[in-house]
Amino acid sequence: MADMYAVRNIRLCTKDCLCLYVCPTGATDTENSVIDVGKCTGCGVCADSCPSGAISMVPKTLPAQQKHSEQVIKAMDVLLRSKVEQERISAGLEGKLAAAIERSNRIMAEDLIREAGYMLPQSANAHDFLRGLLDRETDDDFPRDAVERLLALLEENDRP
Amino acid sequence: MRKIVCSVCGYVYDESKGVPEAGAASGTKWEDLPADWVCPMCGATKDEFTEQVPDSKRRVAKDSPPDRSESETDMQELSPLEMSVLCSNLARGCEKQYRGGEASLFTRLADYFKSGSAPSENPRFADLMDLIGKDLEKGMPVAKAVAGDVKDRGALRALVWSEKVTRILKSLLSRYEKEGNAMFEHTGVYVCTICGFVYVGDNPPALCPVCKVPNWKFEKIEGRVS
Repeated sequence: MADMYAVRNIRLCTKDCLCLYVCPTGATDTENSVIDVGKCTGCGVCADSCPSGAISMVPKTLPAQQKHSEQVIKAMDVLLRSKVEQERISAGLEGKLAAAIERSNRIMAEDLIREAGYMLPQSANAHDFLRGLLDRETDDDFPRDAVERLLALLEENDRP
Repeated sequence: MRKIVCSVCGYVYDESKGVPEAGAASGTKWEDLPADWVCPMCGATKDEFTEQVPDSKRRVAKDSPPDRSESETDMQELSPLEMSVLCSNLARGCEKQYRGGEASLFTRLADYFKSGSAPSENPRFADLMDLIGKDLEKGMPVAKAVAGDVKDRGALRALVWSEKVTRILKSLLSRYEKEGNAMFEHTGVYVCTICGFVYVGDNPPALCPVCKVPNWKFEKIEGRVS
């Protein structure tokens, strides 16, 4: 199988159709504009041919992400907790400003946790988190099936 | 004539130029600009501006390094809302990789944890200002020092953006204290979905002043049912 696969960005696509002409397997020609990964050989000719730069070649296996030091993670965690608390408070307040602050804090918190080691869903720590949920969450309405499905779908890319 | 710089977006107020289209003639001193004057680019209040000091005159600051001792925090013991954040962040990570199915699954988990999070008992705008103050005075300087020591540029990137966004939230809250809901009466409120920058007005800038993403990544905040 190929190491890379082609992805079309529909926002950039201007229907020049060079990708349809050059694809050896017909992977780029689909009714929903999503390139067929099953047929794509990763040859990259479509990406090179597209005059709008709408196709990217993406690797199938991602490298291990950069590690963050313990100290950095701890310092980021302090800020993460503060932003989460601010989200919680603003969620209880009325009005457009409160709604904007709630959203803004959620976005900042996501960015902070991302740079505290949780950038990729494929990482070992994300998998450990998911497995931990299966052990700990005992409520009937906890979506166990979602966790099980994620563990089945997401390969691990950096387990030592 | 001094130059006073906005710490959120980099806009420079040059005293020798003023802002004539806003009624501030050239030569208008910083102190003489009205107290409610805001940065024309990003909306930050005067508090978020600092004077630009020429390199030759800049003293080497002999501040004591920020106190980095923090109590042990265990990343494993996340509150429900923190788990929601982790899941919504991983959902984004899936979306960026065009893995829509996985993204939806993480979003389901994020929603579950958010709905399981106990609401704040007595929420007040003043509490937001307190936490913002702590972030700007302690949390962020400590984190930037620690990340700088090990040259963790990814962490520094997140810290630079979130500090600027935190300053904008502080500006908006202090304006809200004085102007109340009239501030938003007939005006749009937009949030940058990439960095969290908040813009109040009808014409969002073409690029986010903090992260420079094109403004089609902004989300308009409509009224909400709480």
